[in-house]
Amino acid sequence: MNRAMAGVARLDWSLIVLVLLLGAVGVLNLQSTSMSSGSNIHMKQFYWLIVGAFAMIATAVVDYRHLDRLSPFLYGGAVVLLALVLGIGKEINGSRRWFDFGPVSVQPSELSKLAVIAMLASWFNRVPRPAGYTLRDLMPVAGILAMPMFLILQEPDLGHTLMLMFIGFSMLAYEKFDRRSSVTLLTAAVIATPLMWRFVLRDYQKDRILTLLDGEVDRLGAGWHALQARVAVGSGGIFGKGHGLGTQVAGGFLPENHTDFVFANLAEEHGLIGAGSVLLVYLLLVVGALRVASHARDKFGGHVAVGVAALIFWQVFMNIGMVLNLLPVTGVTLPLMSYGGSSVLTVMVAIGLLVNINVRRTVF
Amino acid sequence: MSDVYLDSSALGYRLRARRLMVVVGLVFAVFIGRLAQLQVLDGGDMSQASQANFIRPEALPADRGNIFDRQARPLAQNRAAYDLYVTPSQVKDLPALLDGLEEVLELDSLDLERLREKIQEPRGIARYQPIRVRRDIDRGHVARAQSLRAQIDGLSIKVEQQRMYPEARIGAHLIGYMGRMRPEEVESVGVSVRPNAMTGRFGLESRFDGLLAGRDGYEKYVVNARGAKAADQRALAAVDEVVHEPAVPGNDLVLTIDAEVQRILVSALSRYESGSIVLVDPRDGSILGMVSKPDFDPNQWSGRLPPEVYQEVVENPFKPMIDKSVHSFFPGSVYKVVTALAALEEGLIEPETEVDSPGTYDFGNRIFHCHKLSGHGKVSLTAALAASADVYFYKLGERLGIDTPATYAQRFGFGRISGLDINGESPGLVPTRQWHEEHTSNGYQFGLALSTAIGQGDVRTTPVQMALAYAALANGGTLYAPRIVSRVQSPDGKTVAAYGPQIVGRLGADPVHLAAIVEGLERAVSDTEIGTGLLAGIPGARVAGKTGTAQVRDIERLRFTDKVKDFRERDHAWFAGFAPVESPRLVVVVFLEHGGTGGKEAAPVARQVMQAYNERIEPIFNTQAANRHVPRRRLERGAP
Repeated sequence: MNRAMAGVARLDWSLIVLVLLLGAVGVLNLQSTSMSSGSNIHMKQFYWLIVGAFAMIATAVVDYRHLDRLSPFLYGGAVVLLALVLGIGKEINGSRRWFDFGPVSVQPSELSKLAVIAMLASWFNRVPRPAGYTLRDLMPVAGILAMPMFLILQEPDLGHTLMLMFIGFSMLAYEKFDRRSSVTLLTAAVIATPLMWRFVLRDYQKDRILTLLDGEVDRLGAGWHALQARVAVGSGGIFGKGHGLGTQVAGGFLPENHTDFVFANLAEEHGLIGAGSVLLVYLLLVVGALRVASHARDKFGGHVAVGVAALIFWQVFMNIGMVLNLLPVTGVTLPLMSYGGSSVLTVMVAIGLLVNINVRRTVF
Repeated sequence: MSDVYLDSSALGYRLRARRLMVVVGLVFAVFIGRLAQLQVLDGGDMSQASQANFIRPEALPADRGNIFDRQARPLAQNRAAYDLYVTPSQVKDLPALLDGLEEVLELDSLDLERLREKIQEPRGIARYQPIRVRRDIDRGHVARAQSLRAQIDGLSIKVEQQRMYPEARIGAHLIGYMGRMRPEEVESVGVSVRPNAMTGRFGLESRFDGLLAGRDGYEKYVVNARGAKAADQRALAAVDEVVHEPAVPGNDLVLTIDAEVQRILVSALSRYESGSIVLVDPRDGSILGMVSKPDFDPNQWSGRLPPEVYQEVVENPFKPMIDKSVHSFFPGSVYKVVTALAALEEGLIEPETEVDSPGTYDFGNRIFHCHKLSGHGKVSLTAALAASADVYFYKLGERLGIDTPATYAQRFGFGRISGLDINGESPGLVPTRQWHEEHTSNGYQFGLALSTAIGQGDVRTTPVQMALAYAALANGGTLYAPRIVSRVQSPDGKTVAAYGPQIVGRLGADPVHLAAIVEGLERAVSDTEIGTGLLAGIPGARVAGKTGTAQVRDIERLRFTDKVKDFRERDHAWFAGFAPVESPRLVVVVFLEHGGTGGKEAAPVARQVMQAYNERIEPIFNTQAANRHVPRRRLERGAP
């Protein structure tokens, strides 16, 4: 009892406030995009947020150090689900990413991100190398990442594949590196890029990248989406067209406006002021997560917090980069703003972990 | 449990966490910069792009005015045309669509391939725009196209107006036709929203396009990405300009032309390859009929012109697309009235002055010939006109010089456009001493005054000018502007403007002199001994007129067929006259390009026209004899 009181006293409210703020803005924004279609996805999103809030509290309460022991099982479960979804998942738009449970669909690739974060944090915790990791040391890390990445790529879902890779690299970046190993790793990355292009990427994925470099490649497909997103953002101006007055969504010109391109609608209706504010909130959230990492009482907690920071940062990076036409079109959603239960749940649980780690932080 | 890392390495983690924060901060700075770039710097362009997405202007085509003849018979009107469109984005089964179109439109495999490319080519938002695949489907195919549309997605049929000319070839040059606007014209008119806008291309359609066309209206409506109209209030709120501007229909033209007269003129020309007939009312300058040959079908030129028809017209050596009624030619002897009036008014001769007029005339080192080798002996003015005695007029030309007759020619309206101003109307040419100094290789030679006196040399006149000049002789000296539009009326039939006769000048001649010339013209048609225009004569009616046979110096000897070569070496045949002499009602000018001699070819055509006019339009001759039915045989060429 006393400990719980002490925990509440040490609670970092700022993270919770930021998350609730984003959740509220997300629901309002979805309410605007669902006007023309007459759907009620914003209400569904709202319910998911409530479910997510409970999940966040639950995650925050139980000491995160139990997660260290559980991580191999979580990771194993995630890999099994990713394999299963390839077999019995529901196919939408040519890819199998969802388990269909009637009214609810679950996207295992979303949940697998947490499992991978926990697994990697656990590994770094168990295999300390105060002098710095060498490449040979990191072979297991590559294995931990490669398995789910391979499965997700089969769905296919390039966005989540890249997400896992970026999260993995970010957690590596939090560790000390053997100098020679880092040079080798960089060289390998340079060599791997063209090989990825040749053997891993599918044609439509290549098209999306080419479209970014040259808008004329495919004005009908990905290029069209990117162009319309840019038009939506640009036409918002400084103050925006007003809530619910965005014409790009209402006219059906902006595709995927409640998932991938949800930020374009926000920028169109609320302008530089609104979109810029939301960007700032994300920045505070990511920086907050990194601060939690640097104050964590143990290595496991620190790495989990960095993983969560990476999870949020890279999703924001890839999604908003895409909307702003700085990055190719990938199906990465914007945390808490895009419609999607699995995503909301994943992010809320991740924030719960942050709160958990922060409450049990060291004194200084 | 995990190790608590309260050791020195914790400092390393803090350092790296701070580095990561800096990287994250930089990325967000870039994003906010990009956001500002798109929303502030590009904001205007993007706003326009966004509006272009959902606000679509659509032209509301104005109804073009009709053209009526003097009896309110339609000469140009509109009918519904069914255009077939394909919207690529809506096509679900392209092979089935193409199969259906192949049958309905009777396409061959090449057309089909072109159509496939046309449908597959558009990208992005262009796929939502309907493509016109066939303009004006044949009537018989409309029902089949409709049923195809019901079966296959992506087809639509739009009804647009198509110009129609009920009289087809009758008067094609005068009425004109319609053609698609060129981009620069679209620009100048400002109807840039209408891709298939048509404009008058020829004849009165072109001359009075401003009156006929009306003004297209437009409508701005809000569409969604599929191009469907959306009545979404939120989107409508973004359209802050005028949303609906109704079209203003064009005005109707009522002409002085009579369609029945046109038919008479066309049938009178039927035996000739090339030429023109102009009929004018001498009392007010109204044009009663005006045709040019060869003609063309304006319905084909306004619609889908079959390539073979176009080819045929372009290759036709008789040049169907030149309006010969306003094109200038050597007039020959019909021009002698100018010389006659000049000589009388200048006091060189009296009507009864007799001048020796032999078969040849030596002038300088050149011999001028009369068309009659034996000559005419001593003749008065009336006889000289009647017999078209060339030497008589050479002698007048010698005494008048070239500049004095030119001033009289100008009083007759020669040398400047009549004011009809259609089809590139030629001003013709009245050569003067100065003109020759500037344009003739050897400069002005006095002999040129002699050739000019008989309508040779470099004189050029149009049939319309000639008709108005003879109208001035017939009405006692008043030169009218050609009156072709009598009234402009609004679509509901109210008169917007009425055009009465318009006097552009007077001959200013002594009535006695005019009477002498008219007498000479009447003798030309009636004096059985010397008259050159006897074949224009109508028993029991008083007809005046002058024949002309213009020698054509056709230097170009192109590789034409024998028929064409033969044609090109023949003279132009003219007849200009009026009837009845006692109170002139009708001026007839017949011009047969390379048609032979005026007396043998043009004069009987003029008679046919006058008689038909008298019988079918309105009686202009009062006598029983003139109204008696004339046996067809007598109208044949070479009849006595």
